[in-house]
Amino acid sequence: MEKSVSFESFGFWKRLNSMLKVDFKRMLRSRVFYILLASALVMPVLMTVMMAMMDGSESVNQQTGEVTVMEGPENAWQNIGTLPGGEDMGGMDVFGMCNVNMTFMGVCVFVCLFIAEDFRSGYAKNLFTVRAKKGDYVISKTLMGFLCGASMLILYFIGSALGGAIAGLSFDLHGLNAMNLLMCLLSKIFLMPVFVSIFTLISIAAKKRAWLSICGSLGGGMLLFMTVSMITPLSSTVANAGLCLAGGLLFASGLGALSTLILNKTSLV
Amino acid sequence: MNAIEIKGLCKNFGSKQAVCSLDMTVPMGAVYGFIGENGSGKSTTEKMICGLIPKSGGSIRICGRDHTDKDVRAKIGVLIEAPGCFGGLTVFDNMMLQAANLSIPDAEKEVVKTLKLVRMEGAAGNKYKNCSLGMKQRVGIAMALLGDPALLVLDEPLNGLDADGMRIMREIFLDIVKDGRRTILVSSHLLGELQKVATHYGIIRGGKMIREMTSEQLDADCRTYVALQSAEMSRTKALLGCKYARVEEDEAGYIRVYDLTTPEEVVAYLYEQGIPVTEIKKNKIGLEEYYIDLMKGGRS
Repeated sequence: MEKSVSFESFGFWKRLNSMLKVDFKRMLRSRVFYILLASALVMPVLMTVMMAMMDGSESVNQQTGEVTVMEGPENAWQNIGTLPGGEDMGGMDVFGMCNVNMTFMGVCVFVCLFIAEDFRSGYAKNLFTVRAKKGDYVISKTLMGFLCGASMLILYFIGSALGGAIAGLSFDLHGLNAMNLLMCLLSKIFLMPVFVSIFTLISIAAKKRAWLSICGSLGGGMLLFMTVSMITPLSSTVANAGLCLAGGLLFASGLGALSTLILNKTSLV
Repeated sequence: MNAIEIKGLCKNFGSKQAVCSLDMTVPMGAVYGFIGENGSGKSTTEKMICGLIPKSGGSIRICGRDHTDKDVRAKIGVLIEAPGCFGGLTVFDNMMLQAANLSIPDAEKEVVKTLKLVRMEGAAGNKYKNCSLGMKQRVGIAMALLGDPALLVLDEPLNGLDADGMRIMREIFLDIVKDGRRTILVSSHLLGELQKVATHYGIIRGGKMIREMTSEQLDADCRTYVALQSAEMSRTKALLGCKYARVEEDEAGYIRVYDLTTPEEVVAYLYEQGIPVTEIKKNKIGLEEYYIDLMKGGRS
C-alpha cells in the first residue's frame, strides 16, 4: 500500500503567534531580563539619592589646593534629559554618562544573549528545520527586544520619579507639561526598534558568539546613542514621537529584511 | 513515494567540495543508516536536507515536495549536534516550548505521550542541565518527535551511550517506525549498533554516495568466512594462502578463510598436511567489516 503524508499549512499569523508565545515565555523565564528590569528601576533611584546626599560636599585637590563643590541634582527629571532654561542640568558627569539612554545598552545585552543562546543550544536548528520562513524569527526577536526595551524605559521613568521623591527634589518641568514628558517617553520607546534591529542584525550574523555580537552591537549602537538625547528631549512633542515611530518602523523593516537575507544565505549551525 | 529523494546534490565551502553530485533515496518507513568517515559529508548532507545550510546544486525532495516547502519542513524532526534545549528549564518545559513552537493542540498530552515513547516520563521534572548524556539524547529525540514528523534526521544519536542506553535507543527507533508512518535517517559510527535497527544503508565517501542498499542486500553481500586456529599458525596461514584467494589473520588471533562455505574442506586439507585444527567456526562479516572492506577499495 502506498504510504502518504498529510501536510498542514500554517498561515503567517499562526506561525508568528506560536513563535512569539515561545519567545515571550523564554523572556519571562530569563534571568537577564529581570536583572535588566531591576537595574532600570534601581539605577535612577540610587543615582539620584546618592548624588542628592553628596550635594554641597567639598573635595580638595591635594596638589593644587583647588576646592571642588559637588553639585547635586535639583530636579527629579534630570537623568531623563535637560530641562529648558536649566543651566547645564545634566552638568554632573555621572548623569551625563548614566542616564535613561543607558537602557539602550541594556537592551543590546538582552538581544545579543537571547539570540546567541538560540544558536548555542541548538534551538535555532530545531526551529529553522520546521520553520522555513526566517522572517518570522527576525520579527519575533525584534518584538521581544522592543518589549524588553520599552519595559526598561518605563521603569527608568518610574525610578527617576521615585528617586526624586525620596531625595525630595523638585518635579517642576520648567514650562513643559506632562504631555511633553509622555511624548519623551513614547519617542524613546518608538526609537527602540532602530537599536533593536541593529542588535538583532549583528547577533544573527554572529550566531552563537555572544561576545562578538555584544561588542559589535555596542560599537554599532555607540554611533547612534548620541542621537537619542537629541531626538528625544524632555521637550518632545507629537512630532518627535512621530519621527521616532517612522524611523523605528523604517529601520526595523529594512534591517529586518537584511537579517532575513543573512539567515537565508548563511549556515544556521 | 520516497521520504527523501536527492539528485546531484552539491555543497561547496569556498574551493572545497564537501558534497559532490550525491544521489540518495530513502524509502518511506525505513531506518536509513547513513555511514561514512569523519568529514565525508554526512552531517553536511543532513543539514542541507533540514534546510540549515544552503545547497550549491542539485535537488532535495522530501515526501514528494521540494525541501524548502514550508509545509513539508513542518514534517521534519531533527537532532543534529545539540538537542535545542535550555539548560535552566526542565525537560517538560523544554518540550512544552517546542510544542508551542509547532502550534501543537493539546500540547501537554502530546508531550507526555512523547516522553513516554522515549522512556523519559519519570524524568520530565528534571532540569535539562542535570540530565545524563543518554537522557539528553533521548530528550533530543523526543523534541524531534513532537509534531508527528514524517521524517526524523538524527546525527550520531548513539554517541557516548552505554550499553543499556544503546539498547533503549534501539527500542525507541523500532517503536518510532513500527507503524510505517515515520522514516528515520540516522548517521552513526557505531556500525554494529546501526546494523541492529537499519533497514537501508547509504555509504558516503568524499562527499559521494558510493553504495546504497537494503539490509537484505547487505546480508547477501556480506562474505562468509571460516575462522580457525591450529597448532602451527604461521604454516597454516602460508598453506591456506596458497590454496585460497583470501586468507587473513584477525585481531583475535584466528585465521580467516573467506568465501568458503564448508569448513570440512579446510579441516581435511590441513589434516592431509599434518596440521591439526584446534578450533574452527563458520561466520559472516558484519556491517563494520563490510564497510572497512569497502573503504579499502575491496568492493568498489
